Amino acid sequence: MEQKIIRQQQNHSDIATRFLNFGCRVVLLGAISLLAVQVSTGQAFMTKNGHAEFKSRVPLHSFTGVSDDLVGAINLADSTIDFYIDLTTLKTGIGKRDKDMRITLETDEFPFAEFYGKMVTLFDPESEQSQDVQVAGVFTLHGVSKDISITATLEMHGDELHVSAFWKLNLRDYNIKPPRLLIIKVDEVQELSISGRLTSVSN
Amino acid sequence: MVVLVCLSSSVDAQIPRERANPGGPVFEVFWAPNIITTASVANVPKGNLNVTIMHVFGIATDGIKDLFGLDDPANIRIGFDYGVSDRVSIGFARSRFDKLFDFRFKANLLRQTRDGRIPLEVAIKGDMGIRTDEIEFDLKDRPNYLGAVLIGRKFSDVVSLQIVPMFSHFNTVFIEIGENEEVIKEENDHLALGIGGRFVLSTRIAVLFEYIPVFGSRSDGTRDEMGIALNLETGGHVFQLFLKTSTWLTEQHAISRNRDRFLAGDFRFGFTVNRVFSLASN
Repeated sequence: MEQKIIRQQQNHSDIATRFLNFGCRVVLLGAISLLAVQVSTGQAFMTKNGHAEFKSRVPLHSFTGVSDDLVGAINLADSTIDFYIDLTTLKTGIGKRDKDMRITLETDEFPFAEFYGKMVTLFDPESEQSQDVQVAGVFTLHGVSKDISITATLEMHGDELHVSAFWKLNLRDYNIKPPRLLIIKVDEVQELSISGRLTSVSN
Repeated sequence: MVVLVCLSSSVDAQIPRERANPGGPVFEVFWAPNIITTASVANVPKGNLNVTIMHVFGIATDGIKDLFGLDDPANIRIGFDYGVSDRVSIGFARSRFDKLFDFRFKANLLRQTRDGRIPLEVAIKGDMGIRTDEIEFDLKDRPNYLGAVLIGRKFSDVVSLQIVPMFSHFNTVFIEIGENEEVIKEENDHLALGIGGRFVLSTRIAVLFEYIPVFGSRSDGTRDEMGIALNLETGGHVFQLFLKTSTWLTEQHAISRNRDRFLAGDFRFGFTVNRVFSLASN
């Protein structure tokens, strides 16, 4: 009889231990999941109104096209960078020139310029210092995709991630014929720059 | 874990590409702010200055003796229109005949949208002219006016059409005695309907027409204005080469003073140069 009571007590003890273990695992898993979610959302940033700019040169003159409809996302967890812009939102200050640009870029057929790639050097999100990072990926324009590598500047400002980048491209590389009027021709080399304040996707 | 995997995959994926403003206004119902004489629903973009130089010669069908009208006195109009916003422009111009200054505005009340939500472009236009030639008119006798509603639609990249109900008023008009002692009486007011269209032949070339029948009473001996034009677009310029009946270059004069008939061969050669400048800092 005593043995039976002892065995039952042992059984109760096993059940309690197993229940305690299961509870701990659930709590631990939940905590890990919550932590992971917090880290993941805290490291993904996005903007829908970034600034994009290009500078074109013609003899004795240059002009700039700008847009504040740059869409972009940066995920610090996996270092991916994804930006695109609807090219019809670029404005040069003269409506007729905008139309020429749309014709040249064939925006009905190829409406977007886009970049998708990764940071290949480290960025420290704990620092609020401006940091240059190397970015490599694919830039697509006019239906042509090219591997490019550029330097971007990233900077944490509280919950915001500020980004800017500058690079040059040759229109011929993207099967774009530089527009010309009589003997005046737009330079094949275009200077591009982007900037944006990306907010955490959890906001 | 499932939540984490889902979140991770959603962050990893590329952002879906979406057009920025699919319901925005259609691009260029017409290439220039005017068709030939009548204004078009196209307005001058914000911060842009559209400089217009118009030239119309004499009757072209009189032959080589006056070089198809080029030897006749030409009416010339130089105008400036500035885009206060993408929907509102103001401008002024000076014409040679009557030494006419005219001040005008155009406002787009509705913009045709690319998604078809708004099918029409609707604008209003007002123009006040004042003749400054040496004539024994008091100041109150010199003004003339135009009010118009412009209704247009870009049906495709090739075809755009518009109608323009318009009303003109001259403070002072003439009663003349003609060569056969007949009385030629001008009316102060005219009601007309401008009908115009554009057919795009290529990215740089388009053909346009306009016809402005007058309804109700009209000045004696006057005819409906009519014209055809070839538009050539070269970057910041739109060149317009046209054949039209009236020597006048403002709507209120064209509908109330034209005495020639296009279909009878009474048309004149002319051209308009539109040049756009940006005055906005960019």
